[in-house]
Amino acid sequence: MKIGTFVIALLLSSTPLAAQAAAVDSAAAFAARQTAREVQGTARGEANHAGGEHEACGPHVPGDIITPHITDSRCIEYPKDGWRIWEPAEYVLPQWAPIHIGSFAIDISPTKHVVMLFLAALLVSVVLITAARAHVRHTHETGRPRGFAAGIEAMVLYVRQEVALPNLGHHGEKYAPFIMALFFFILFANLLGLIPYGSTATGNVSVTATLAIITFFVVEIAGIRAQGPGYLNTIFYWNKDLHPVIRVAMFIIMSPIEVVGKIAKPFALTVRLLANMTAGHIVVLALIGLIFTFKSYVIGIAPAAMAVAIMMLELFVAFLQAFIFSLLAAVFIGQIREAAH
Amino acid sequence: MRTLFRSLVITALAAVPALAQEAGASSKVDLLSPNYGLMFWTLIIFAVLFFVLAKFAFGPITKAVEAREQALEDAIESAKRDREEAARLLAEQRAALDATRGEAQKLIADARVAAERVRAELIEQAHTEQTNMLDRARREIEAEKAGAIAQLRREAVDLAIAGAGRVIDRNLDQAANRQLVESFLASVTPAAVSASR
Repeated sequence: MKIGTFVIALLLSSTPLAAQAAAVDSAAAFAARQTAREVQGTARGEANHAGGEHEACGPHVPGDIITPHITDSRCIEYPKDGWRIWEPAEYVLPQWAPIHIGSFAIDISPTKHVVMLFLAALLVSVVLITAARAHVRHTHETGRPRGFAAGIEAMVLYVRQEVALPNLGHHGEKYAPFIMALFFFILFANLLGLIPYGSTATGNVSVTATLAIITFFVVEIAGIRAQGPGYLNTIFYWNKDLHPVIRVAMFIIMSPIEVVGKIAKPFALTVRLLANMTAGHIVVLALIGLIFTFKSYVIGIAPAAMAVAIMMLELFVAFLQAFIFSLLAAVFIGQIREAAH
Repeated sequence: MRTLFRSLVITALAAVPALAQEAGASSKVDLLSPNYGLMFWTLIIFAVLFFVLAKFAFGPITKAVEAREQALEDAIESAKRDREEAARLLAEQRAALDATRGEAQKLIADARVAAERVRAELIEQAHTEQTNMLDRARREIEAEKAGAIAQLRREAVDLAIAGAGRVIDRNLDQAANRQLVESFLASVTPAAVSASR
């Protein structure tokens, strides 16, 4: 975890420098291209449209290949034509009017990460439900699953039996689907960031924070359901074994700490997933950026090899972070349920 | 060490927008400010996904696996029961076999004793019968002998008398006597003699 934080810090600080270096070179070319496009656009009478489209996809900094990759945008990229995969076309997502709740306005227009989350959810549903149906059919026919369904069963059972149930405590079975859904959703969202034209929705603080807040509410509700009125002991420190004066003093000191402890857990979940998913992408892009900075095929070999290695690491991290998020969610639920005993 | 990391992060985060601006961007790179629309969508998508998966994926898989585990447990349990049952039956059979074998031995011994007794009785009976038959035969022989002796004696007496009669007749008339005796002798048979008496 600390290594991840370190790497992200280092790379965040170095990114703009690399970008700057690249920008010096590419700025002129970009400006020329832009001018040419505008001229063309004017010729066709589409200047406003072209400009608007570019603006719609978010601010574009010449030479900065990292920021657009790790941030959300209003456009999704897709392959324009079969071979020139490095020149994606951009589809501008529809922009809806913000919804006003009192004086608070929420813009619920879909963004790239919304689309990625939706895709992840769709893929998870299709894969798991197909596997579940095959599983049930095979179990009905031969008493055991076969092939793909057996593989999915192994994963589902691993998350259920090794991650969820041992940590959730006694009679924690009803929370197991939540842990499993978390695992598969985060896993697929992580993996979608590794495929071309994909984007890592779990590298967006809004997504990880929402998942962490959902987990927070599940944990607290689990605590209330398991402990009843005893749940208040997890907020207010009131130790009856202590002398009354010390008890009051400890109450005043410890209660805020308990509250901070409660908030720290989802905060840690948020930052852990965000930082880990962002860091790897920045490393890969920074390594690729080196190739363009040095403008040399010979020097390009080493960064390319390293980028491949980091991508493989990312593949592992995608599984690891989904595992850790769901494991910690299970541990937090188990802790607050156990506190009654 | 921690402070170092923290200061690095803060420096980096602080430096990013400034440097990005320097590079010519009009807005800063903001990784940590929440987008409420995205949060809303995350919540909706995850909530829907959770209910869909719980109902259509995890439910059936868990149920099938639990059913399989239950079936396996039942199979193991019933195998254990069957084995115990088999062991019990085997012991029972063995005990029954032992009992039967003892009984058979006893039966054979009894039969042997009975056969011995029957044989002795038969021999005894045969002896007795033999003795009886011998006695009877002896008695009959004695009786026959006595009868034969008596008859022989009577025959002898008759013959002697007949002979004496002829001698007397001859003496009376030599020629005539001789002729008479001879004709008698020619005609006589022991039965005729006894019948003529």
